[in-house]
Amino acid sequence: MPELDRRDFLKLVGVGAGGAAAAGCSDHVEKLIPYVVQPEVITPGMPVFYASTCRECPAACGLHVRTREGRPIKLEGNPDHPVNRGALCGRGQASIGRTYHPDRFRKPQRRGAAGALEDVSWKEATAALAAKIAERPGGTWVLGGATGPSLSDLIDRFVGAVGAGGRLVYEPLSHDALREASRAVFGAAGLPIFDLSGADYVVDLGADCFETWLSPIEHQRQVLEARDLASAEGRAARMVYVGPRLSMTAGNADEWLPAKAGSEGLVALALANVALARRQAAGQPVGGDAGLLAALLAPYTPEKVAEPTGVDAAALRRVGEQLALAKRPVALPPGPGLASSRAVAASAAALILDAVLGAVGRSVGLPPETPATPEPANLAALEALVAAMNAGRVSVLLIHDSNPVYSLPPQLGFRDALAKVGLVVAFASGPDETTELAGLVLPDHTPLESWGDASSRPGVRGVVQPTIRPLFDTQAFGDVLLDTARAMGDAVGAKLPQGSFRGVVEASWGGSFDAVLARGGSFAPAPLRGGAVQAGAAKLAFRVPELVGEGEHALYAPPSPLLYDGRGAALPWLQETPDPVTKISWQSWLELSHASAEALGVEAGDVVAIETPAGRAEAIAFPRGGIRDDVVALAVGQGHSVGLYASHQNDGRPGEARGASAIALLPSVRDEAGGRAWLVSKARITRTGGHARLALMQKSDNKRGRQLGDAVALAALEGDAHASGHAGPHEVRRPFAAAADATDGSAYRWGMTIDVDKCTGCSACTIACSIENNIPTVGEEQVVRSRLMSWLRIERWIGDGTQELRAGRPPYDDHEQLGRIDVRNSPMLCQQCGAAPCEPVCPVLATYHAPEGLNGMIYNRCIGTRYCSNNCPYKVRRFNWFDYAIHNWPDPMPLMLNPDVTVRCQGVMEKCTFCVQRIDLARQTAKNEGRPIADGEVTPACAQTCPSHAIVFGNLRDEGSAAVRTAEAGGVRAYHALHTLNTRPSISYLARVIRDPSSRIDEDGGHAEAGHHANAMTPSQEGTA
Amino acid sequence: MTPPPPEAVAAMIRPAPRRPDSRINRDILSVMEGASLGYWVLLASAVLMVHVAGAIWIYQVYEGLGIAGYVHPVFWGVYIVTFVFWVGIAHAGTLISAILYLFRAKWRNAINRSAEAMTVFAVLTAAQFLGIHVGRIWKSYFILPYPNQRALWVNFKSPLLWDTFAISTYATISAVFLYIGMIPDLAIARDRAVGWRKVLYGALALGWQGTSRHWKAHTRSVLHLSGLATPLVLSVHSVVSWDFAMALVPGWHTTIFGPYFVAGAIFSGFAMVLTMMIPVRRIFGLEEYITDYHLENMSRFLLLTSIIVGYAYASEYFMAWYSGVEAEQTSFWMRAFGPYWISTWIMILCNAVFPQILWFKRVRTHVPTLFVLSVLVNVGMWFERYVIIITGLSREYNPSTWGIYTPSWYELGILAGSFAFFSMFFLVFLKLFPVIAIAEMKELAIHEKAHRQGGAH
Amino acid sequence: MPTLLGVYERPDQVAEVATRLRARGYTDLETYSPAPFAEVDDAVDEKPSRVRVFTLIGGLTGVVTGYAMTIWMANDWPIMLGGKPFSSIPPYTIIGFELTILFGGLLTVLGLFLVGGLPSLHRDKAYSPRFSAEEFGVAVRCQDRDVSEVDALLRGHGAEEVSLVEA
Repeated sequence: MPELDRRDFLKLVGVGAGGAAAAGCSDHVEKLIPYVVQPEVITPGMPVFYASTCRECPAACGLHVRTREGRPIKLEGNPDHPVNRGALCGRGQASIGRTYHPDRFRKPQRRGAAGALEDVSWKEATAALAAKIAERPGGTWVLGGATGPSLSDLIDRFVGAVGAGGRLVYEPLSHDALREASRAVFGAAGLPIFDLSGADYVVDLGADCFETWLSPIEHQRQVLEARDLASAEGRAARMVYVGPRLSMTAGNADEWLPAKAGSEGLVALALANVALARRQAAGQPVGGDAGLLAALLAPYTPEKVAEPTGVDAAALRRVGEQLALAKRPVALPPGPGLASSRAVAASAAALILDAVLGAVGRSVGLPPETPATPEPANLAALEALVAAMNAGRVSVLLIHDSNPVYSLPPQLGFRDALAKVGLVVAFASGPDETTELAGLVLPDHTPLESWGDASSRPGVRGVVQPTIRPLFDTQAFGDVLLDTARAMGDAVGAKLPQGSFRGVVEASWGGSFDAVLARGGSFAPAPLRGGAVQAGAAKLAFRVPELVGEGEHALYAPPSPLLYDGRGAALPWLQETPDPVTKISWQSWLELSHASAEALGVEAGDVVAIETPAGRAEAIAFPRGGIRDDVVALAVGQGHSVGLYASHQNDGRPGEARGASAIALLPSVRDEAGGRAWLVSKARITRTGGHARLALMQKSDNKRGRQLGDAVALAALEGDAHASGHAGPHEVRRPFAAAADATDGSAYRWGMTIDVDKCTGCSACTIACSIENNIPTVGEEQVVRSRLMSWLRIERWIGDGTQELRAGRPPYDDHEQLGRIDVRNSPMLCQQCGAAPCEPVCPVLATYHAPEGLNGMIYNRCIGTRYCSNNCPYKVRRFNWFDYAIHNWPDPMPLMLNPDVTVRCQGVMEKCTFCVQRIDLARQTAKNEGRPIADGEVTPACAQTCPSHAIVFGNLRDEGSAAVRTAEAGGVRAYHALHTLNTRPSISYLARVIRDPSSRIDEDGGHAEAGHHANAMTPSQEGTA
Repeated sequence: MTPPPPEAVAAMIRPAPRRPDSRINRDILSVMEGASLGYWVLLASAVLMVHVAGAIWIYQVYEGLGIAGYVHPVFWGVYIVTFVFWVGIAHAGTLISAILYLFRAKWRNAINRSAEAMTVFAVLTAAQFLGIHVGRIWKSYFILPYPNQRALWVNFKSPLLWDTFAISTYATISAVFLYIGMIPDLAIARDRAVGWRKVLYGALALGWQGTSRHWKAHTRSVLHLSGLATPLVLSVHSVVSWDFAMALVPGWHTTIFGPYFVAGAIFSGFAMVLTMMIPVRRIFGLEEYITDYHLENMSRFLLLTSIIVGYAYASEYFMAWYSGVEAEQTSFWMRAFGPYWISTWIMILCNAVFPQILWFKRVRTHVPTLFVLSVLVNVGMWFERYVIIITGLSREYNPSTWGIYTPSWYELGILAGSFAFFSMFFLVFLKLFPVIAIAEMKELAIHEKAHRQGGAH
Repeated sequence: MPTLLGVYERPDQVAEVATRLRARGYTDLETYSPAPFAEVDDAVDEKPSRVRVFTLIGGLTGVVTGYAMTIWMANDWPIMLGGKPFSSIPPYTIIGFELTILFGGLLTVLGLFLVGGLPSLHRDKAYSPRFSAEEFGVAVRCQDRDVSEVDALLRGHGAEEVSLVEA
């Protein structure tokens, strides 16, 4: 096939280019292989974009894959996709690394007599598999993660065709309780759809909707758009977080009700109770039979609920009132981490609250009658499978798109049961705990190499198309199924589609496939289905759950915002990016309150043992103010024993687990309906006497009143300057025209406006930046020495801070307080100063002021005096302490290097230059078309991927540019970081807005400030630095 | 400067028998003759240590600077600290030979030669660290303004370039100073040496015969060189101090740095002269030439500069507090009580407190005490630079990036190597060249003789 | 022409005899002293040394070079740095200063060599190591008929010994 030939060729070219890029700094030169026959779609040096879909989590965001000479080098969001609208989260950004992962299986493998894996050919493999299935078709089971409709259908047809025992869809974060709750409350089983657009009052009952819950990118965008300060509604919008821990999402709320873990349901009922009364009084609809609801909610008055939840009744009442009066309120049920043995009731309570608020059909859509793909199996179904395996009724188990050995609770006994299965076939593309136990490993393509589709809701289906020829001898899972069926004989083969899986995908779309490929899928979201509360809801028993085990702390295991359910652990960028809340990377840490820490006599960095009925693990203690005394939190995701980055293999410690796996500590407990529960156990915490140096990238959240991450009270925006969070008039805070700082002739002065009020701290920008700019990851040992290389970091400040003077060397200082939020997430990158302190001190002119105002960095000229970094007040310069370019890019990773960006060698300084390679590309295009660069034509990687559009990039010399307009619109919020140093930065920050939660919304939807922010920290002071 | 008390001078003067040789010649040249086992052991261990340090450095170049203890944001560490330390040491030499020469402080003649030699070796040692510190030594020639096909020059606005010029000028001038001053003595050695030494000194003495023409040009040149070297001494350490003062790092960006560093440099320089000369005069029996009187004068200098340095410390803290600049205040508070409080208190005690005992003549004339004190001062001055550089960088404007630096063993190894490097040169110098300026000693002696014989003047 | 060498113990004697000799017209004389004594040097030649000229020229060249080089290089390829002017005099003054010292110093050495006649391979017959000990010498070249008078002059000022270096 000519197409294959071309791809072959491109791959070769890719290898050459990658090699050259990696060789960047070293002195020997590698030649690129020139095209002999130029493929029509490719212009050397110009990127080609392919629309595809992200398979990193079930949200299934749309992708634009940027390829260069046949290699994907960067993933960006598909602006046409209704879910993510061009944005992409950190996990999505990092997922490009899966294709170029050094761990990947090169060929299919079979476990030999010795127990080691040995290569086999695909022909043998499929033959062997077919034979094994044929022996006992009924003993064949398929277990795997959520897939797109096409593949899902194919699997089902395969199961039917070979007469297999059955198939289970398995997702660790499966939201079982929410599916059940939806049935109990509305009689419609499945995942409701939450559309937060325009929501002016969001109650997040521990869903952590900005991190991992359902569709985080979408939720971030919707909530922050709804809070747009330009409109009265936006200024009136509020967000309340209910949960035991100040999570990343909580940090973006206006009020935090630190309810006891597992009692979120009761909080929801209390709020519903208040809201119901209020709405009935106002004669508004209450989303169900009023009598039924009144009867159901009657027992749950704020006063009664206050005790079991630990939330002040007055606060409950106030929030309930505000909810009742809000225009588009919505409540989000607890996320998986808080799913307890009472999770169905808890989720139901949240849905009832939504119903009472009239949100159902407006912000909450009932699940479709006919889901595109089968519902995931709940814990009960998995237990049944394990029982079958133990009973020897399973002869062949096909495991795809999942790692159950790691992600299932050990108490379930899945690992041992696998031993009793005749043949375990793993379809993972890289080694994991499951492939370690598989008898046959049939490596799947990575999503960037495969055909497929994905659908997260009715009417929205994204296409997955390959953007590179498979790097290794791998096969798409779908094709393996087809081949296996055919190998079992024409009788079986005939029951399945002919041709390849690609044909199956193409056929499933009908119509013009090319149009689909161009657009990235078909996007026609179905309207949200409404519904009323059913009588069945009354049967639910709403209670605070009993936890198993002893110990005075409940063990809370929230999904990691970066590692998700642990599938991200193999991607170095996700490991290395500091956790949005604690700023720790690579390690496992146990969050506990300062009081708990004192009681245990542990300090930050002490290693503690965590014991539950399910097992024991060790983690590093990290005391913080933002967590309840009766809870300890250990994020899910670490504790793998396999994988170059996921485990400690790369440190010469084969198979040693990196950190602790929270899953391994959780007893296997069902919720009311047999769903998987996570908040199930108490934990006994004890000191081990050990100590570890934390890989902590921010050791103080006290900004000491300096001009970093500023905030203003909402009242200040209504012209009440005195209510401003800052002393001093705001002119002081924007003392100069940054636009002046470029050569007189230049039409451009590149700059940014960063809205701290919109930054959620999700860190997608950080990872996008690393991948766009070939920034290496350095590993745990180096991060411990703060040698992180990332050009862009998110600083997390609590309040305005004070000039606190602590003697000695405290590991870090923390100013969070229970029930208080004053978190400012402030992206910090090179400010491209007009009077840059770094420039004049470089003896060799390696850093200088470019004509368009950029603070240029010439790597090849740098001799590494590091003076520039000393003199940079923002500390955004990074130094290559080792030859990361060579040591930290094992094959085939050099293939993903961005050929437009120099790979830095040992001994040189590096830093952000606003993705100057993108500016140059745009300049060339504009020049060819004989016009200036248009506003919005250049978007740095960080701004491009930001889900909440907190970063706006543009030309400061163009008064009409978005960057300038946003800064101007910011008014009193606009400030420059550390402006008193007069570095004339090109970046304007817009201060975070403190929205007083006690300011209630009155009938006409406007709102009035009632005094100062109850949660405000120490009175803010203009920095005197 | 107080004139030498008669008894001291008298001690220096003996009626010299006409033949065989002048006693001064014999005493001083005898230092260069033979070498004890102890000397060879000392020299060997110095050379060995230099090689160890060299090996560490090669490993660092190969592996990357990461083997040092650097932590973001502390990007300057022990290497720069030690660089500044040695540049400081280098100051006493030129000060003694140039400034005291202009002031006609005759007592300097006993110590200027060794001090000048020390200067040259200290500058050599310091220069090593510029290379050890940079990330890409193999590209460090970029720092020179040489014509290249990139048509790119260097940045003369960078204090590091001022450094390059100041240090290289200082090295050249002090070497010239040392050599020119030594020519008459080399002639003396030439006239008495045999074998290869005769050849060596003969070549180096440039055919010096002490004719009036020679002396006239010589005294005049030395005078001019002194005139040039005097501002140079003051400028070099000011320039070094501007590496810091020109940066906006809290605790660095202060106007006091120039004089503060110069005083500190002279302080440490004199301490180092004492540390070197006290053993030398003891081992080679030069007490008659380097008398307690000289040591006392140097200890007076020590006291004076110690007071200046102490005053600088005090005013730094005062300014930090009085400025009301939060970052400055924090930075200085952290110095005294933060992660680096130990270094800070070592610095204050050794530099500002201990030297105060020099107010007592009994201490100034008690050689062992002086020796211990001089060592303490050297330690203290090293820590002064450590405190300024490390605490400054570790507590900067952006609290999110505060970090704590601890030197690695590699750095400390190279630090030790630098002392070995310095001593190696000094030991070789002792055996190769007159450690005391003979001609200048004679000048004194002959004047005295003339006086005693009541010669017409 | 014969050369007489008188050996003395004190510089003042040398200065006196040198002055007397020159007064009597014996201008072709040379002194040898173990240490610098202004009176001796001036007695032989009262003109101030010309080394100063070299130092001056060196210094001036240095300062000009310093400023010229920095300013020219900064403008040869003008590069914006921290919003500072291309030709910013204050920092360049440091370079100018250092080069003043450097060139001044080096030319002073050159001066020493040219004015002092160093280095030289020539060795006076009259010179002997005793003059690098603690004795002074006065060597006078005179006509044969004057030998006795010169000898008397030399002895008259307390010469320890007078010898005829060459006949």
